[in-house]
Amino acid sequence: MINVLRWLVFAIAAFAMNFPILVTLVTSFKSTRELSTNPGLWVQAPTLDNYLAVFQVSDRLNIFLYLFNSITVAFIGTTLAVMLAFPAAYAIARGKLGERTLLPFIVNLRAVPLIIFAIPLYMMFQWLALLDTRLGLGLILSIVNLPLALVILVNAIRDLPGELDEAALMDGASRLQILLRVIAPVCRPAIVTSLIFGFITSWNEFLFGLMLTTSKAVPITVGASFFFAASGGGVQWGVASAVMVVGALPPVLLGLIMYRQISGSMTAGAVKG
Amino acid sequence: MKTQRANTSEFKLLATPLVLFLLLFLGFPAIVNLIYSISDVSFETLRQPQITGLSNFVAVWNDNAFWQASWFSLRFGAITALLECALGLFLAIFLSPLIEKRSWLMAILMLPLMVAPALVGLMYRLVLHEFAGPVPYYLWAWFGASLSFLGPTSAFWTLIVVETLQWTPFALLLFYMAYRAIPTEVVEASAMDGARRWNLLWYIELPLMAPTIIVALLIRFIDGFRVFDNVYVLTGSGPGGSTASLSIYIYEAFFKQGAIGKAVAASVILFAVSFAVLYGLNLFAGRRKGALT
Repeated sequence: MINVLRWLVFAIAAFAMNFPILVTLVTSFKSTRELSTNPGLWVQAPTLDNYLAVFQVSDRLNIFLYLFNSITVAFIGTTLAVMLAFPAAYAIARGKLGERTLLPFIVNLRAVPLIIFAIPLYMMFQWLALLDTRLGLGLILSIVNLPLALVILVNAIRDLPGELDEAALMDGASRLQILLRVIAPVCRPAIVTSLIFGFITSWNEFLFGLMLTTSKAVPITVGASFFFAASGGGVQWGVASAVMVVGALPPVLLGLIMYRQISGSMTAGAVKG
Repeated sequence: MKTQRANTSEFKLLATPLVLFLLLFLGFPAIVNLIYSISDVSFETLRQPQITGLSNFVAVWNDNAFWQASWFSLRFGAITALLECALGLFLAIFLSPLIEKRSWLMAILMLPLMVAPALVGLMYRLVLHEFAGPVPYYLWAWFGASLSFLGPTSAFWTLIVVETLQWTPFALLLFYMAYRAIPTEVVEASAMDGARRWNLLWYIELPLMAPTIIVALLIRFIDGFRVFDNVYVLTGSGPGGSTASLSIYIYEAFFKQGAIGKAVAASVILFAVSFAVLYGLNLFAGRRKGALT
């Protein structure tokens, strides 16, 4: 009996929390005519017209560019964060370097409102001609990704037995060689997890995309909002819904496939960080 | 020992790229922030700021909108953190017998975490739209009345609900993990002693989960306090600046009003307060850890 109640609570919670996603998905399959008469949660005559319209490139809107920008900046932001964090994580975990300075500083970055760095970064990017470039946005996203990547990697290396390094040291290997040949292979799951996390975070980032890009490097989160800017008569809700579905799909799919790893390290990052 | 020292320098070398990167992209901006906050600067004199003292800080201090935004951020962070953690705690414990057997249920509950907050905000523009949105539609159909969800009186609570529904899964996930990590022997032993289910929860399980609850409250408060994306796309700074968070206040001072000095001074204040609070928390956490071991 209590189990029926549990299922009921689950259904209500799942429905309420996923409600905007559900509505958007349903709306994306409605024709323009149906939209004006039926705002409800069902579709009378499903159509793909909205998706065809989304992938129509015009001089004002180009979804392929936004998606390509998001993929590129997420790739830069993620790989750079891991490439910087991995050797540092090794130095922190094994060399006991910066355990009380560097590590807490970077972990605390997760809690700092990043807007406080946004204005000087905007000016700096103007001087360096990095405004509205994929490289520029990618560089900033790597800062956003650093805290979690570092925590995940430090924890992973701490869990490894020290004999691994010592055996290799005896053979005369340098620390860099140990890092690349011995530690990296066994840390692969942790590296993959930080890459997935970084990708989802980067893809979903909005503030820096909004501030640092205007046309050439606009990511999908910002580009999607362009579809809401009415061109003539009001927002085309069907097209706007379709663009949101397309923009939300990559991280959602990734999250559904990898949710076990993600739930594990989300808690690691939260509890140990 | 010689090898020891060689070791340390090798480690230092490995950490160097990260440190240099941070100095360039956080250290340098922090210095720019400090200099500009005490200068008279506009978009025309960006490269030659005239140091004038604390006038920017005075301007921020006397700006009602700044205090309104601070109050919004504090209230928004506190209310959403409490709601998310209360809901998440209930769901985690009540649903755990279901999720234990079928982990895909958790995947469904975690789904909102994967969607960009900016997109979720845009989605609610559709959900709450007076003609195209299903919520007003069903409210009219069933009750013959609807609210103006993003109007001056209800915008704040609408935003609270939007934020809470998206991020409750985060608290739920944390609490579910902590709940599952409670050793079964502890629970069994108390049950043997005849503890009632309710007492077991109150005196054994919740105290064991307390550290996780504190961490979750903290993380959610911080994220609520610095909120930008979903609020910005839904209401912007709202009617009369009523839904401007501190992040939105700084953004608009810079990009909409071109008041660089004010924006930068507000950044510096936020910077100082954040670091003071975080430093205090770290001290507190460090002492707690020391007491435990």
